Amino acid sequence: MSSEPEVKGFSDKEIVNCPQPTIILRARGLSKSFPGVHAVENVSLEVYRGEINGLVGKNGAGKSTLVRLLMGLQRADGGTVEIGGRCYEAMTPDEALEAGIAYVPQQVSMIDSLTVAENILAGNLPAGKFGFINWKEVKQEAKRRLQKLSLEIDVRQRVDGLNITEQTMLAIAKALFSRAKLIILDEPTAALPKVDIQRMFSFIRSMKQQGVGFIYISHHLEEIFEICDRVSVLRDGQMVGNHRVAEINQTQLIQMMVGQSVSEFSRANNPISKEVVLSIENLVRRGHYEKINMSIRKGEVVGLTGLKGSGSEALAAGLFGLEYLGRGTVKLNGKAFIARTPRQALGQRLAYLPADRHRFGIVGLRSVKENITYSILKRLVRLFMIINDRRETELVSSFIKDLGIVTHSIEQKVGLLSGGNQQKVVFSKLVATKPSLLILHEPTQGIDVDAKTDIFRVIDDLSSQGVATLLISNEVRELSVICDRILVMCEGKITYQFIKGDAEAIPENILLAIEGSYEPG
Amino acid sequence: MSQVRAKILLALLNGMIWVVLILILLFFSLAADGFFSTSNFINILLHASILGVLVLGQAICLLSGNFDLSAEGTVSLLTVLAAWLMLPSREAQASQLGGIGWELSPFLVISLMIITGTLIGALVGTTITRLRMNNFIVTLAFQLILRGIALVVSMGAVLAGTPETFNWLGGGRLGPLPYSVIVTSMLFLLTGLALKNTRFGRELYAVGGNPHAARASGFNPEMTITKAYMVSGLMAALAAWMLLGRLETTTSTLGRGLTLETVAAAVIGGVALTGGVGTIKGVLGGVLVLSVIDNGLNLMDVNPFLIQGVRGLIILVALLVDAQKIHYGRYLA
Repeated sequence: MSSEPEVKGFSDKEIVNCPQPTIILRARGLSKSFPGVHAVENVSLEVYRGEINGLVGKNGAGKSTLVRLLMGLQRADGGTVEIGGRCYEAMTPDEALEAGIAYVPQQVSMIDSLTVAENILAGNLPAGKFGFINWKEVKQEAKRRLQKLSLEIDVRQRVDGLNITEQTMLAIAKALFSRAKLIILDEPTAALPKVDIQRMFSFIRSMKQQGVGFIYISHHLEEIFEICDRVSVLRDGQMVGNHRVAEINQTQLIQMMVGQSVSEFSRANNPISKEVVLSIENLVRRGHYEKINMSIRKGEVVGLTGLKGSGSEALAAGLFGLEYLGRGTVKLNGKAFIARTPRQALGQRLAYLPADRHRFGIVGLRSVKENITYSILKRLVRLFMIINDRRETELVSSFIKDLGIVTHSIEQKVGLLSGGNQQKVVFSKLVATKPSLLILHEPTQGIDVDAKTDIFRVIDDLSSQGVATLLISNEVRELSVICDRILVMCEGKITYQFIKGDAEAIPENILLAIEGSYEPG
Repeated sequence: MSQVRAKILLALLNGMIWVVLILILLFFSLAADGFFSTSNFINILLHASILGVLVLGQAICLLSGNFDLSAEGTVSLLTVLAAWLMLPSREAQASQLGGIGWELSPFLVISLMIITGTLIGALVGTTITRLRMNNFIVTLAFQLILRGIALVVSMGAVLAGTPETFNWLGGGRLGPLPYSVIVTSMLFLLTGLALKNTRFGRELYAVGGNPHAARASGFNPEMTITKAYMVSGLMAALAAWMLLGRLETTTSTLGRGLTLETVAAAVIGGVALTGGVGTIKGVLGGVLVLSVIDNGLNLMDVNPFLIQGVRGLIILVALLVDAQKIHYGRYLA
């Protein structure tokens, strides 16, 4: 854990007593309720010039609602927002933009097919005679602006040619060019490869030096401690803490988020059977991975980790029939395994949890009930393919109870649930198929601490029932807690194996191995 | 905009179709002579029944995220084919209104229509899913192809005088109620139940709502979409049977313009053009609203050209309602 040296030396008391001009935004007593829930209740928040204010809270704690209120996308039931010397009761999105509040979402949306320069100057392209655009000037102006932020991106490149890190930085830069004073960053590192996170951080820090204020939303508490000056904690719609990060530690922060003290999840050392569930021999897919040899036994939880493009993701997608698997020998439960479609994979009792929940995991428009039983309808239908409603309801209810899915009914649309609950729905769908091999791709991405623990518990339960699990993740700490073995992939090859309980199997070593710089011994 | 207001608005927009139906029923009862009578209501239902059957097919395709513009081509081809196979030859009749002269039994012809319609649907669906072609253009092309075949078979002439036994569905009545109304009602009921309670219904909404997640859940979206077109083809065959039975005569241009009406009725009934959203109950409302307006305006002796315009306007309003629903739905979420 590291923290920035304090920039501003205010204590909470001083701030209340003398309103400083350095305050960019002051929200007071914001409330917003939806039918049956207080999404945000009497929340106050101050953001200062040149400060990064972390905003943490479990899924459904009210972070998104708060952000939407600040952006003017939703109207508060009560409370005020003060910004730029004006006090708003009901801000419109235009007023928020005008006042200098900018939001950079998790998935940046830009005009992919245009160049960086065009995107920077979009809507404001310098035109010459007859309305023709002066492209030379566009490039120069864009270059000049980026240089001011010491951001080195080729302005002639198309945006879809940039990597995610550059796209996110470009989005932040764009916000600054439109004179934003306060930038709300929503999980800016969620999709970033580990190596780029520091690059992103130093960029954010340099913006901060220029006096921009940030609200930094993240589930990665390590990041909060690394980059933020203060951190505000939301729990059940209420602001339960606002601290300088130097004053608290991670355990305290988690306690504030969860509301009660949590013991970190730990998994018992189950004796693993000798029975091999999945065996892969000499599997090759050109351009993705080569000579993959691995096996997973009954009840074993095997972690697979590596940088983006290391081949781990392609391997998982290939096994589930979403992509071409390659050539080699793959056996599942002793039989040759071939799956050209997910349907065939499921038929051979292999289930897969995709990393992109919204695209591949849920049908957001449909109910919790339907989403959970999608893969097992065959077992639920009677004559004329009519679904046995009673059995379905029983089954779904038992999953909702076992996994602790928070939903007001089984008919609730999944799209309206919080991220952690959506993930539990996808999990239920997989578990319902009674898989013998479960492949999980970043199962804890974008979900809160509580939901994570719940999901670990499910993985543990399944493993004690004999399900083999392949867990693909970049959360090294989580892997080292839950996995019996951790395989590291680097440039298409499995380069290291860490076994739980060994002295060298610590997160730091695994991280080094992922980057390809681990020297055993 | 308060939360409560948004909620009320959304509820209104969701139930809008029935409110609208009641309002226009009231309006025409007061404004159009002869509108408020049992015989006229039965007349409305009779007209609604053929449109209704076609809309069922259209709605199922739309739920899967695909248009079906080919169904009206199927209708015209099947009516022409059926008449051609059943009618005595031109020479025997000594008129231009004859068929090939095989005079096939109506039962055989009806079975043939149903099989052919379903097969056409399968062909359309396979073309779209296996060859990965755009559904809008593929079905539009099929509409032209099918109508073209109908034109070749009929040689541009009118085929008239279908046998009694064939006509019972389109023309027959059980007491005061036309058989076509009874059959269509049953089809609505069956389709509604099927979408709610069968595996096919689940697949359809999942594939239309999010094809990627549907595939990853073990569904076969290509198959589901093909099945949707097969249902649409089957419905087109039934509609062709009803239509030919009622008119007892057909040409290759029969059914022209029905496509837009089916899309309109589905959209008015709350089916989203983006797939995965809509109910059969809503679709029923859409069909009734469209039919009542047609009937009412006709009774009021409104200029038929104006009626076309009014239909266009209704479609725009339906799309507006759809857009507003999405907007307020977001506002609440």
